[in-house]
Amino acid sequence: LLLKESWELAKSPMASKGAPLHGPRIKLIEKAHNLFSETKEHVFESKATEEHAKLLRMQHELEVTTKQPIFVDSSISDTIRTCIVLGNHRAALKVKTEFKVSEKRWYWLKVFALATIRDWDALEKF
Amino acid sequence: MAQIPNLDNAPLNLSSLRDQSRKEIINILTNIRGSKCLVVDPKLGGSLSLIVQTSVLKEHGAEVRHLKADPVQTDCTKVVYLVRSQPDLMKLICSHIHNDSSKGLQREYYIYFVPRRAIACEKILEDEKVHHMMTIGECPLYVIPCDEDVLSFELDLAYKECLVDGDTTSLWHIAKAIHKLEFSFGLIPNVRAKGKSSVRVADILGRMQVEEPVNTSDMAVPEINTLILIDREVDMVTPMCTQLTYEGLLDELLRINNGAVEIDASIMGGPQDGKKAKVPLNSSDKLFKEIRDLNFEVVVQVLRQKATSMKQDYTDMTTTSQTVSELKDFVRKLNSLPEITRHINLAQHLSTSTSKPSFLARLDMEHTLVEAESFDICFEYIEEMIHKQEPLLNVLRLLILFSVTNSGLPKKSFDHLRRELLHSYGFEHMATLSNLEKAGLFKKQEPKSNWQIIKNDLQLIVEDTNTANPKDISYVFSGYAPLSVRLIDKAIRYGWRPIEHLLKLLPGPHSETKRSGFASSTSFDSLPGAAYSTNKVGDGRRSLALVVFIGGVTYAEISALRFLSSQEGMPHELIVASTNIVNGHTLADTFVEKLG
Repeated sequence: LLLKESWELAKSPMASKGAPLHGPRIKLIEKAHNLFSETKEHVFESKATEEHAKLLRMQHELEVTTKQPIFVDSSISDTIRTCIVLGNHRAALKVKTEFKVSEKRWYWLKVFALATIRDWDALEKF
Repeated sequence: MAQIPNLDNAPLNLSSLRDQSRKEIINILTNIRGSKCLVVDPKLGGSLSLIVQTSVLKEHGAEVRHLKADPVQTDCTKVVYLVRSQPDLMKLICSHIHNDSSKGLQREYYIYFVPRRAIACEKILEDEKVHHMMTIGECPLYVIPCDEDVLSFELDLAYKECLVDGDTTSLWHIAKAIHKLEFSFGLIPNVRAKGKSSVRVADILGRMQVEEPVNTSDMAVPEINTLILIDREVDMVTPMCTQLTYEGLLDELLRINNGAVEIDASIMGGPQDGKKAKVPLNSSDKLFKEIRDLNFEVVVQVLRQKATSMKQDYTDMTTTSQTVSELKDFVRKLNSLPEITRHINLAQHLSTSTSKPSFLARLDMEHTLVEAESFDICFEYIEEMIHKQEPLLNVLRLLILFSVTNSGLPKKSFDHLRRELLHSYGFEHMATLSNLEKAGLFKKQEPKSNWQIIKNDLQLIVEDTNTANPKDISYVFSGYAPLSVRLIDKAIRYGWRPIEHLLKLLPGPHSETKRSGFASSTSFDSLPGAAYSTNKVGDGRRSLALVVFIGGVTYAEISALRFLSSQEGMPHELIVASTNIVNGHTLADTFVEKLG
């Protein structure tokens, strides 16, 4: 029963996608995280929900600081790319360390992002 | 050329089947007097186009519309909905009706469920207080012939419904469809099933025979001798590989829909105005019938040959004087020119994709995955794909392949790939991952790995495959023989018994039953051995085996089955029926949880 309930909770934030209020969504995800962490079989799920909540918070902050509503609901990789494209390398690095993004993925993302903004000099440098 | 396939050469009398369905639809229309607006569920619209032409519907006084979210714009006072029993479609209809009544429009509503009504749907209509306003009926279209030897039950979601949602309605539909076939072509004496759903269908079929027996006494020999039921779940490797037959490749790259592809008119030599052209593909097109099942490499050669011989004929024509009969010959050949041009255009378009290095790299990787001998290479390749954020479905296809051939992944790699995937594509794909895990397609590793045994015992990897002059079904994937078709081959020739040890390694139970009309019904009179005395039907044709895929079949598998059917020593001619026709993309797509 707990299992079923937790899945439903995990899905519900997605159902309310596009809702302007991020607060309730983050709370819901955290509730799902708690439910997942109560059972042993869902270690992976509980970790993922935890990260999801963290990501939403960070994206929210980023939107406030950059005043561009383009971050929420994009994936971690997309967030990093957007940051680099906007020239905000510090924020990108922060996301990277926060979610322990592997070096391999980090380089792919950086190359892609720099190529989109045609920043060949920076591409050359690293 | 018409999109409705010509069925005259079909091994079974399928035209009668189609005529019956056509009659059902027209009956509905003639029973409602006056002009009316027929609103068709878009998914059904495709199937309808394989049965009846729109002009015929118009002759019966119907305007044809597709069911959409916007209200129906029509002057008719009678609206007829033809829909599948899907709750979301009910919601649409309700909103239409509410919209009409708010405008004060008085209309008569009819709703016909295909193939039968569902209580859940009627409940929605009741809740929305529109149930009393409509006349409700059923339109029993269970089977739709797609081609001479291919039938479809048009159940797109059956696979996911059974595996993930535990909804088995579709199994009843399949059994009903087969039972209906038996009424036309006689009771099928041998039934062999593999997989959970298949065994269920075989059971339901048996029960239907008890409740509503097919009368066997007035038919000497049943036309279909053997029924093979097989779950898609049994072989998930094959659909995840890129198909390399002409028809399969067309489906992979352009998507064949109800026996036709839609592409830019400019590719077909039309004007460059971005318009779409619809190209019908079925065996009424003689050239297509000849080349559809061939490996694409060979198709290019065949087309080149045709074109050069044409050119040769043409130069012969201009130089020497001809007799009238030679001229006639030449003109007849010219008639096939449009077909040749059409396929040359299509083939050229396909080869722009197939010659790309990324395409070849992918094929290479699929092969490595199926061989399942170098875990690390596969793992890194997929990881890199995720890092590069390649299209999700491409990734999922390889992931499923990876997981199935290794009987799941070791926990560490499993969690790592899942995490990378969520990071790259977003956390909303949690639900997708959970669907795949429930279906057993992407999961944690089990202690024993079966794939190696299965692969070796059934000779799934064939080293030197001659694509031009194939001796084995492995030509359809240039070196990999589809597992499903290998099983079917064995089942038809020898039954399940010799390969029981292998069947146990594959998911789901298996069953084998012999039936006769008299064993299951309690009647005492008996006809001596007429039910399964011989494999030959009266006039020397081979009897048939009906192969039913539950959860979808790929074009490449159909090609492989046709190849089997044409081989010497094959006791039966094969026809294929399936819940729908799939490829790796459409199959993986059903598992992706749609949001919003």
